Amino acid sequence: MTDVGQAVSAAFRDEWPRVLAAVARSTGDLDLAEDCAQEAFAVALRTWERDGVPDRPGAWLTTTARNRALDRLRRRAVEAQKTATAARLAYRAGGVPGAEAGAAEPDPVGDTAVRTLDHAGWAAVGPEEPDGDLLRLVFTCCHPALPLEGRVALTLRSLTGMTTAQVARAFLVPETTMAQRLTRTKRKIHATGISFRVPPAELLHERVSAVLAVLYVLFTQGYDGWSEPADDAGGTAARRALGDDAVRAARLVARLLPDEPEATGLLALLLLQYSRREARLDLDGVPVVLDEQDRSLWREDEIAEGLAVLDDALANHRPGPYQVQAAIAALHARAATADDTDWAEITALYDVLLDMTRSPVVALNRAVAVGRLRGSEAGLIVLDEVAAAPELATYHLLPAVRADLLLRAGRPEEAAAEYRRALAQVDREGDRKLLRRRLAELSASLPAEL
Amino acid sequence: MRYLMLVLSTPDAPAEPGDVPRIEDWVRDTYDTGRAVLGDRLRPPADAVGVQVRAGEVIVTDGPFSETKEVVAGFDVLDAPDLDEAIRIAAAHPMAYTGALELRPFWPLGLDDGVPTEA
Repeated sequence: MTDVGQAVSAAFRDEWPRVLAAVARSTGDLDLAEDCAQEAFAVALRTWERDGVPDRPGAWLTTTARNRALDRLRRRAVEAQKTATAARLAYRAGGVPGAEAGAAEPDPVGDTAVRTLDHAGWAAVGPEEPDGDLLRLVFTCCHPALPLEGRVALTLRSLTGMTTAQVARAFLVPETTMAQRLTRTKRKIHATGISFRVPPAELLHERVSAVLAVLYVLFTQGYDGWSEPADDAGGTAARRALGDDAVRAARLVARLLPDEPEATGLLALLLLQYSRREARLDLDGVPVVLDEQDRSLWREDEIAEGLAVLDDALANHRPGPYQVQAAIAALHARAATADDTDWAEITALYDVLLDMTRSPVVALNRAVAVGRLRGSEAGLIVLDEVAAAPELATYHLLPAVRADLLLRAGRPEEAAAEYRRALAQVDREGDRKLLRRRLAELSASLPAEL
Repeated sequence: MRYLMLVLSTPDAPAEPGDVPRIEDWVRDTYDTGRAVLGDRLRPPADAVGVQVRAGEVIVTDGPFSETKEVVAGFDVLDAPDLDEAIRIAAAHPMAYTGALELRPFWPLGLDDGVPTEA
């Protein structure tokens, strides 16, 4: 790659979301902003070669993209004027107004263009306010009125500049499906009147939670890729890379929302979980549960950062679910061996987390912790209380956890039956392999008639 | 932007909804600021009248068309600069605490556009 090519790539990586966000604020139109930001990078490739790389590539790109947007909007406004004039002439000539081609479109492009040209954003474009713009971008992409899948995909695309094809690959769906998902999401932003802004104070708290939830879904998509066998022709690599993207996004959001300890807590949680990624599969491509992981594969630097970030969050004394989950992850990270794990503290934290979330999945994890702390029979009793939750009815980890507890309690026949039940429900290749192995090991140790 | 806000009563009203705002306050805050332009309570579904034309005949039926658990108990037409403002207004309505509100953005037909007013 040429020097200029490298400079543009670097600018793309570092500046894409800022350029996009700045233009989106000016136009109030994310779709248009996306097109114009892309064009600006294409223009950079051509002109930086000739004129040299500017001192402030980001500012150069933003100005270029913004000018493109303004050009387009002016053109659209002129077109709209022409259409309106034509409609008036047709009416005077006795024709039916709006009967000509294109009139079926209920929100004619010109209307949008005129509105967008009037958008207050143009007036407000003065001093650079990149952080504010980024925050607006994130809140817009994560608006809870949008379908969750669309929010996650759009956030990823907006923050990384990934193409639709790349996003599709990371989510393991066909490109046409992803293109549709993104288009529908952007259309809904427009149709429902979602503004490119930070939500009003009354809604801010819930909206921050919504943003963090999207980032966590994004992270999970990537992190789960690390416990799936890496054999689907490169798709796994694309999916795993989402973990990096999610950590980067969480870092950004934590910086943008310094008064929200949960944002910092989420970053800590992601860092601490992600530090274990290399230990999540064995050489046969079978997932390794936390207890059995080779702790020397955990990233010490990331753990250290995660612990420091968590301390920052907790110093606010405003705990929330992400901080508590991060605190649990921190206890695992601090234990030199699985046997050194502080199960008493972990169980106490799960009590707090369950109180905050009332989530059956949290209750399931709590049963595991109780099993370690007070013995497997105690864990089984807690598990029975959880098992009735309809959300867990088809969740393979419910019988899998019960099987582990039964095995530890010295009840292998019952454990084998639960492993079989889990196998019938599992929908992830990695977990299926793990369950098969557990069952095979167990069957080998049981008397032949079983 | 305009939104039709459907005020729904739902079967699963919470037993202790907490501090529910007063409807009088909501109406004052919303209508006095021009954030709503029209709205009212509606008679119950039993008083609904269905009208259809089939094969050139007007068919009038008793009751609502869709038997849903939620009942449209009223409506307001909001005029808000954006969705978040409409959500803020909806979230301040007493029925948000005991029932549900549904915001439906207008999808203007634009029938009035491009038609000159002069003869």
